[in-house]
Amino acid sequence: MEKVNRPLRIALTKGRLEKDTVGLLEKIGYDCAAVRDKGRRLILPVGDTIEVVLAKAADVITYVENGVCDMGVVGKDTIMEMNGKFFEIADLGFGKCRFALAGKKGTDFYSGYNVKTIATKYPNVSRSFFEKKGMDVDIVKIEGSVELAPLLGLADAIVDIVETGTTLKENGLEVFEDISPISARLIVNMVSLKMRQQEIESLIKLIEENLN
Amino acid sequence: MKRYDLLTPEGTKDLLFEDCAVRRSLEEKLSRIFKSMGYCEIVTPGLEFFDIFNLNSRYFPQESMYKLVDNKGRILVVRPDSTLPIARVAATRLKDARLPLRLFYRQNVYRNKPAMRGRSDEIHQMGIELIGSDSKRADLEVLTGAIEVLSSLENDSFRFELGDIGYFRKLVERLAIDKETKEEIRSLIEVKNYPALNDLLDSIGSNEITSALKQLPRLFGGEEVFEKAERLFEGGKDIIANLRGIYDSLTALGYNGKITIDLGLVNKLDYYTGVVIKGYLEGYGDAVLSGGRYNKLLAEFGYDVPATGFAVNVDAAAKVMKQTNSYPAPVPDVIVFGEDGYEIKAVEHAAELRKDGLIAELSVFDTYEETLDYAKEKHIGRIVCVGENIK
Repeated sequence: MEKVNRPLRIALTKGRLEKDTVGLLEKIGYDCAAVRDKGRRLILPVGDTIEVVLAKAADVITYVENGVCDMGVVGKDTIMEMNGKFFEIADLGFGKCRFALAGKKGTDFYSGYNVKTIATKYPNVSRSFFEKKGMDVDIVKIEGSVELAPLLGLADAIVDIVETGTTLKENGLEVFEDISPISARLIVNMVSLKMRQQEIESLIKLIEENLN
Repeated sequence: MKRYDLLTPEGTKDLLFEDCAVRRSLEEKLSRIFKSMGYCEIVTPGLEFFDIFNLNSRYFPQESMYKLVDNKGRILVVRPDSTLPIARVAATRLKDARLPLRLFYRQNVYRNKPAMRGRSDEIHQMGIELIGSDSKRADLEVLTGAIEVLSSLENDSFRFELGDIGYFRKLVERLAIDKETKEEIRSLIEVKNYPALNDLLDSIGSNEITSALKQLPRLFGGEEVFEKAERLFEGGKDIIANLRGIYDSLTALGYNGKITIDLGLVNKLDYYTGVVIKGYLEGYGDAVLSGGRYNKLLAEFGYDVPATGFAVNVDAAAKVMKQTNSYPAPVPDVIVFGEDGYEIKAVEHAAELRKDGLIAELSVFDTYEETLDYAKEKHIGRIVCVGENIK
């Protein structure tokens, strides 16, 4: 980690959240041309005072937590799965979806006394959801299309992000229960907020004023 | 089976040369400060009974502790914190000692952290505990001690933060809600999650208390925080007045601009009951110093006396210090080579040189040429050859 006086560094989750955040920054009046025309670069200037870092969702949290980035934009889904020590200052309102429990249409997930198997990309979210219910479940970590697991008979249900539900429907699955809503969050390193309070607070204020 | 004989366990590391030198120099520096303030060093065991960390108020989640079982089947933990063991010592062997007790420590603590997040499980901490006084003077002693530690780190960027957890506790105890909801409010304030905090408080009701709680995570910054906090909550006036007094005394010492306030410092693992402090350095993403007043902790060990103190994360401070200063491992001033038959004379000569304060290494090589070669590579500037004559 280098010394001070560097621009405020914001880590963005690559992909849709990146585009939405860039849109927001442009609305505030920042020049995001470098980000729009980034090529393969991963660290890009936004005006003179901000530097944008592009990273995978989980890495956004890691960089912010360790203080090499001052702020980050990341989905609530990743925050719930990773946890971590940072300030979760604002709900940016975009990137909206939800965590849901889903399975084969027409089946009764809660019936019977057998231990259920859950396939998910989010083992921690799944574990805490079923812990709250006092249910003992087997959790299988899946990396790709989680919908396959109940179809192939590996799992009784899945815990996954649902946006419109189209993928579920087309594969004969349905939502059994909503777990929690998800949207993009603005996170801030615990020390940065104190060390660069004015800069960060005025940016947060601009962001809050420009949220839809 | 995979063998791990060439690795260190996850979350631990070896400290070589420069890393070791900077840690030791920091240790010496802080020990000197603590000793000069009248604190006495105490060493507690690396292993403690689990029960000490599993008191009525469970400050440490059990998954964060390394555990083992002794030969009688009792659960032990590898010390995750030094303050609780010191409270135990104060409540037992030091129970009849004249108060206040001034104790300091330098030892590792171990916390089982999620793997590969860039944090160590083994943390070298130094800190002080001032046990047996609830006075403003005791607070000021510990706070000025903490500031002295921070300003000794050769890093002008340090920031010292003050809070008082009592302000939050007073607010939340006036709400007729269950323990779980209180905990939820606390955790949302801790992470300054404004939107979720607002939603939760709106669902509880709209009154002076909920609107003050909504503002709490925003109450950080300079002096202006005091006025806001005073207006917000009548019942917190005493706390704010006390904190302002401390703030004024500290800024009068010449630390203006270095001291900030955050009334939203409401960490879960805290045994703190009043004033809480944090120290930050530019270049490290977490607090390097933290502490505060803990007036109820010793009572849990059957000794009801107030206390206050702080701990410094020496590894974190060392990391930052290394960015601005270099701590090279010392290079020997001279290497002494003894010719065949003159080995013991070489040993004697090296001892003579050392008496003059030089670092004198003995050559283990059989020839002068090899010694020369070695000295060149190690940047040792002077070679002494001991034979018939010394040259």
